[in-house]
Amino acid sequence: MNDWLLLSFDILILFILLGLAWLTCNTKEIKRGVTLFVAFGLLLAVIWARLKAPDLALAEAIIGAGISGALLLKAMRDYTEQTSLSSETSRFYVWGINAASLALFVLLAWGLWHALERSDGVRLAENVLITTPESGVSHPVTAVLLNFRAYDTLLELAVVFTAVLVVLAMGTKQRDFGKGEPILIAMVRWLAPILIVTSGYLLWVGAHAPGGAFQAGAMLAAAFILMSMTGVRVDSMLNDSSMRWLLVIGIGVFTITGIVMLLINGHFLAYSKELAKMLILLIEAAATLSIAAALTLAYLGGMPKPQQKTQSAVKIDKTEEGTS
Amino acid sequence: MMINDAIVWLIAIPLLASLLSLVFPKKGTAIAIAGSILGLLASVALVYQVYQSGPITHELGGWKDGLGIVLRVDAMSALFIVMTMLVVTMVGFYASAYFTDAHKKAQFWPLWLMMVVALIALLASGDLFNLYVTLELLGLSAVGLTALSDNRAAVQAAIRYLGIGLLGSLVFLMGVALIYTAYGVLDLAMLATVVEAEPAAQLALALMTAGLLIKSALFPMHFWLPAAHANAPAPVSAALSALVVKVSVYLIIRLWFDVFSPVLQPTASFMLGVLGALAVVWGSWQALRAERLKLMAAYSTVAQLGYLFIFIPLVMAFPVGEERNTALAAFLLLALTHAFAKSALFLSSGVVLQRAGHDRIAELGGTARALPLTIFVIALAGVALIGLPPSGSFLGKWYLISSAVQTGQWWWIVVIAMGSLLAAGYMFRILGHAFGPDESIGKVMAKGSEEIPALILALTATVVLGFGSAWMWDFVNLASPLAGN
Amino acid sequence: MLQELLYGLAGLAVFVIGLRGALLHDNWLLRLLSLNVCGAGVFITFVAIAYRGLTLPADPVPHALVLTGIVVAVSAMAMALALGRRLRSYDD
Repeated sequence: MNDWLLLSFDILILFILLGLAWLTCNTKEIKRGVTLFVAFGLLLAVIWARLKAPDLALAEAIIGAGISGALLLKAMRDYTEQTSLSSETSRFYVWGINAASLALFVLLAWGLWHALERSDGVRLAENVLITTPESGVSHPVTAVLLNFRAYDTLLELAVVFTAVLVVLAMGTKQRDFGKGEPILIAMVRWLAPILIVTSGYLLWVGAHAPGGAFQAGAMLAAAFILMSMTGVRVDSMLNDSSMRWLLVIGIGVFTITGIVMLLINGHFLAYSKELAKMLILLIEAAATLSIAAALTLAYLGGMPKPQQKTQSAVKIDKTEEGTS
Repeated sequence: MMINDAIVWLIAIPLLASLLSLVFPKKGTAIAIAGSILGLLASVALVYQVYQSGPITHELGGWKDGLGIVLRVDAMSALFIVMTMLVVTMVGFYASAYFTDAHKKAQFWPLWLMMVVALIALLASGDLFNLYVTLELLGLSAVGLTALSDNRAAVQAAIRYLGIGLLGSLVFLMGVALIYTAYGVLDLAMLATVVEAEPAAQLALALMTAGLLIKSALFPMHFWLPAAHANAPAPVSAALSALVVKVSVYLIIRLWFDVFSPVLQPTASFMLGVLGALAVVWGSWQALRAERLKLMAAYSTVAQLGYLFIFIPLVMAFPVGEERNTALAAFLLLALTHAFAKSALFLSSGVVLQRAGHDRIAELGGTARALPLTIFVIALAGVALIGLPPSGSFLGKWYLISSAVQTGQWWWIVVIAMGSLLAAGYMFRILGHAFGPDESIGKVMAKGSEEIPALILALTATVVLGFGSAWMWDFVNLASPLAGN
Repeated sequence: MLQELLYGLAGLAVFVIGLRGALLHDNWLLRLLSLNVCGAGVFITFVAIAYRGLTLPADPVPHALVLTGIVVAVSAMAMALALGRRLRSYDD
C-alpha cells in the first residue's frame, strides 16, 4: 500500500519536473524563463530530498534556486525594454533537432537500462561507508568531499574563483537597488542575522550531518545579498584589499594544508589521522568565507570601490582593436 | 623528495601564484614569471623522472582502491606537460610586454595562471569525474581570457565559446554518469581493467568523445573557434590555439587507446579520420582566403588539428606494441610542433598588430623591413606548419604517410599532400605581402621581450624537435603504458 | 531498481530537453537557462542511481559529485551573466 502511494508521488513529481523543464527550455520570454527556472530549481530540491540526498536538497535550495535566482533576477533588470524575442530558425532545422533529440533519448535510455542491468548496485558506496570513520568526519558526503576526493573540491573552489575573476574583469559597478520598503528592511534586519548564524551552524554540523562549506558559504552570501537588496551598501563594509584576501583564503588554506601533508605523509592532502577532523574544519571554514565572498561579489558585479574614483574598467584597451 | 613529487608542485605552484597575483596586483608579473619558471623546471624534472622509472602515479590523500583521485603521468602526458610549461613561460614573457595597462595586467595574470593549473591538472588526471572538473576550469578560464580583449566582438565570441564549452562538458559528464552506473568506478586504470564491449560503455565513450570533439573544434564543430581565437588578446590566442584545444585531442587519444581499447570500433575511428581530413582541407582553404593574420592563424589551427585526428584510424590499425607506439610518437611530434609553431605565429601576429596598428594581410607591405625578426619568426613557424625539414612536423607527417602506406590506407596521403600545399600557399602569401613594397608602416621598434619568446618557440618547433625526435621515440617506447596494455 | 530507472530516465529526458533548448535558442540568456536544465538532467540521473531504496543508505559518491556540479554550474552562470552585461554595455 505504502509502495503504491510512494510510486504515485514519484510519477506525479516527475511529470511536473518534465513539464517545468520543457516550459523553461521552450519559452521565448526571458522573464517567464527565469521564473520557470527558479521553480524548476525548487522542485529539484524536493527531488533530492525524495532520493535521500539531503546535502543536495540544502545546496539546491540555497544555491540552485536562491543564488542563481538572485543573479538571474538582477540580470533581467537589463531586459526591461526587450522581454520577448522572435527567432527565425528554419522549420527544417527545428525538426532535425527534434528528431535527433528523440533519437538521443532512446539511445540514452537503452544505455542506462544496460548500465543498470550490469551494475552490482553497490558501486563505491560500501567502500566509502566503511572507510568514512577513518576520514575524520562521520558524514559520508563530507568525507568524500573533504577527504577522499578533496582534490576535486580544491579544483571546484578554483572554478568559483575563476568565475569571480571574470565577473570582476567584466564588471562595472551596477546601479544599486534603492532603499527598500520599510517592511522589507525590517524583515531583512532580523532575517540576515538568522542566516548568518545558520551558516555557522551548517558549517559545524557538516562533520556529522548534511551541511558543509558550500551550503554555509552560500547561506552567508544570501544574507549579504538580501542586505544589499534593501539598499545596505554591503561592499562598503570591506575594502578592496581585504576582499581579495577573502577570495583567496579558501584555496590558499586548502593548498597549503595539502602541501604540508605532502611533506609529512608523502601524499598531497593525505591528512594525518589524529589531525583530520581539525584540518577538515579549518579548510571548510576558510572555504566558507571564500565562497561567501565570491557569490556576493558575483551578485554585486564588481569590487568595492571608493565612490569618487573613476571606473577604469570601462576604458577600452586601445592596443587591441576588433580583428574579425 | 621534491623531485619525486614534481607533478604535485606543477599544480600547486601556478595555483598559489594565481592567488598571490590577485592579492598583490602590482607584483603580478613577477609572481607569474617566477611561477612559470619554477613550473618549467618541475616539468623537466617530471620528464626525467618518467624517463628514469617509467609512468608515475600519485595517490592524492593516500587513498587506494578507487576511493580517492590518482594523478598519473606517462610519456605522452609528461611531454604534453613540458610543452605546456614551455609555451606558457614564453607567452608569459611576451604578455608582460604586451599588456601596457597596469589594470589589464592585474586582470590577466590570475586568470592566466588558473588556465595553467587547469591544463596541467587535466593532463595529469587519472579520474573521470576529476577530468570533468578540470575541463570546466579550463573552459571558464579560457573564456575569461578571451573576453579580456574588451571589445564587442571578443565578448560576443567569449559568450559563444562559454556556451559551447558548457555543452561539451555536460555531454562528457553524461558519459561519466553512465560509466559510474555500469561499472561503479571513476578511476581510469581500474576502469580499463573492467570495461567491456557492451552498450553502456560504447554509449558512454561516444558521449565523452562527442563532448571532447566539440571542445577540440573538429570539423564541423569548428565554427566557434575562429572568432574566439582571432579576437582574444594575442598571448591568449597563442595559448588557446597551441594548448587549450589540443588537450581535448590528448584526452580523446588517452580515453580511446588507454582506457576503452576493448570497446573501440574501426568504423568510428575511420569516421574521426574522415572528419580530420575534412578539417585539414576546409581549414587550410579558409586560412588561404582569410584577410587578417590572426584569423588566418586561427583557421590554420582548425586544419592542423585535423592531422591529429587522421592518426586515430592509423594508430588503431596497428596492434598494441612497438609499431603502435611509433605511430603515437609521431602523433606527439606533430602535436608538439604545432603547439610551438602556432604560439610563435600568434605572438608575432600580436607584434605586427600592435606595431602596424592592423593585421590586414593585403596591407602588410614593408613589415619585413620594419620588423625583420618578427617576419623571420613567422617564416620559421611557416616551415613547421607546412612540414618542411628540419621541423618536427616534417618527421611527423613522414610517419603519417608511411603508416598510411603500411596499413594500406593510402587515401590519407592525398589529404596530407593537399593540406601541406595549401599551408605553403597561406604562409607564402603572408611572406609575399610582408616583403612587398613599402606601405603605411613607418619606422617601428619592437622590444626584445616581445620578439625573443616567439623566436625561442619557433626554433623549438623547427630545430629542437626535428633533431630531438629520435630521443622522443625511445622515450615513448620506454614510458608508455600503451606498450603493456 | 524501479525508482533508479524511473528517476534515471527522467534525468535523461531533462538532459535531452535542455540540450534541444540550447541548440534552438539564439538568445544567450535563454540558451544559458537551457544549458542549466541540461546539467540538472545529468545530476538527476547521477542521484537516481545513487538511490538504494528506503532501507539502505544512498551512495554518497554521486551526491558529492553532484554537489560539485551544482557549484560549477552556478559559477558558470555568474560568469555568463557578467559577460552578457558587458556585451550590452557596448550597445548602450
